[in-house]
Amino acid sequence: MLTWPKPRGGPQYSACHFCDTLHEAFPLPEGSAARCVRCGAVLYQNRPASLVRATAFSLAALFLMALVHIFPFLTMDAATLRRNLTLVGAATALIEEDAPILGVSIVLFTVITPLMLAGGMIYVCAPLMIGRTAPGAFGVAKWMYRCEPWNMVEVFLLGVLVSLLKLAKVADVHFGIGFWAFGGVMLCMAAAVAGIDREELWDRLEVAKT
Amino acid sequence: MSAPYPKAAGQGLAACDTCAKVSPVLLGRCPRCGSPLHLRKAASIQNTMALMIGAIALYIPSHLLPIMTVVELGDVTHNTIIGGMMRFWNTGAYPIAIVIFAASILIPLLKIVALSWLCAAAAGWTHPSPTMLGRIYGFTELLGRWSMVDIFVVGILVSLVQLGNYMTITPGPGALAFAGVVMLTMLAALSFEPRLLWDRLDELPAEPSPHTTKPTS
Repeated sequence: MLTWPKPRGGPQYSACHFCDTLHEAFPLPEGSAARCVRCGAVLYQNRPASLVRATAFSLAALFLMALVHIFPFLTMDAATLRRNLTLVGAATALIEEDAPILGVSIVLFTVITPLMLAGGMIYVCAPLMIGRTAPGAFGVAKWMYRCEPWNMVEVFLLGVLVSLLKLAKVADVHFGIGFWAFGGVMLCMAAAVAGIDREELWDRLEVAKT
Repeated sequence: MSAPYPKAAGQGLAACDTCAKVSPVLLGRCPRCGSPLHLRKAASIQNTMALMIGAIALYIPSHLLPIMTVVELGDVTHNTIIGGMMRFWNTGAYPIAIVIFAASILIPLLKIVALSWLCAAAAGWTHPSPTMLGRIYGFTELLGRWSMVDIFVVGILVSLVQLGNYMTITPGPGALAFAGVVMLTMLAALSFEPRLLWDRLDELPAEPSPHTTKPTS
């Protein structure tokens, strides 16, 4: 039975984050999940090949993020003018049009948060594969999980689709490589975050540090 | 009354909000990641309600004020969220009209109603089944972000449609108010404490302080 190393010292406990029922945390076979006996919420799970998958998908997400900033999402041809849409372009347009808070929030939710998630995942998980912790890994892991609810990659993609339909009557609009790359970012980020359980990541960090 | 299941809080243990390690709450800080430990998030009902009142206050101007202004060949039109949705509906683009209706109008409203109900249950005013409330809480956390789609659409259109005298789009004050609604309801969902719902069920003290002795279950 494969499982991740548990920190030493007494029995390990897990409390349901939803109903606070206390459980003894037993090791799990790979691919299965422990559920709360009371409310059924998932306590922790043992994901297969967790460190490798989290690192690999995060690396792929970082690479695709670079493409997103190089190639446009949409290209619009109207009245002899050609306009390209990029994430940073959308944000700077809002800042220039006196909506700095909206511009900054676009950068925060679609550029900085995914970057912190993918970068943080690599920074924490890659050294753990050889049983080490990078300097400041605990702080990075903390911020990584704090960022998680604010990652809005998939929402921005829906926004691009809605905009495309709005503009279809006014001009010729085409998808660019940036759109497809951002779709890839969405899938890779989801796979990376789901690739390693929070409990496993922190247990491994604790064991590697001591 | 004794709870049928042992609670971490009943034994003075707290799960860390950040790293989930279960430690004695008297340590003050999580021995693993250093985050502050608490049995329950402090004043979560008050914080959630305060953020929600802010969201309700912004919800009204977000739909009354224009989210963007379109200048086409000298004609100025102010677009509201509902107006944009109606235009899609009238031109027969029903799926996209339904998406905008759900993301911009329905989800924020449902979220405000759901969180108010959850707060009422956590305060002990109503006693619905916690399992059902749990599902509602899961949905509010999951769906909240999708309302940002309108803000992103404004950003995309403002960036693309800068065609000089032919057509330009500028953001309106409604967009800022709507971004406020989305962020405040997200913060409200994050500051809510679902464990209070089960505390009510077990008739344990709602927010026990770590310095007083609690009845062990």
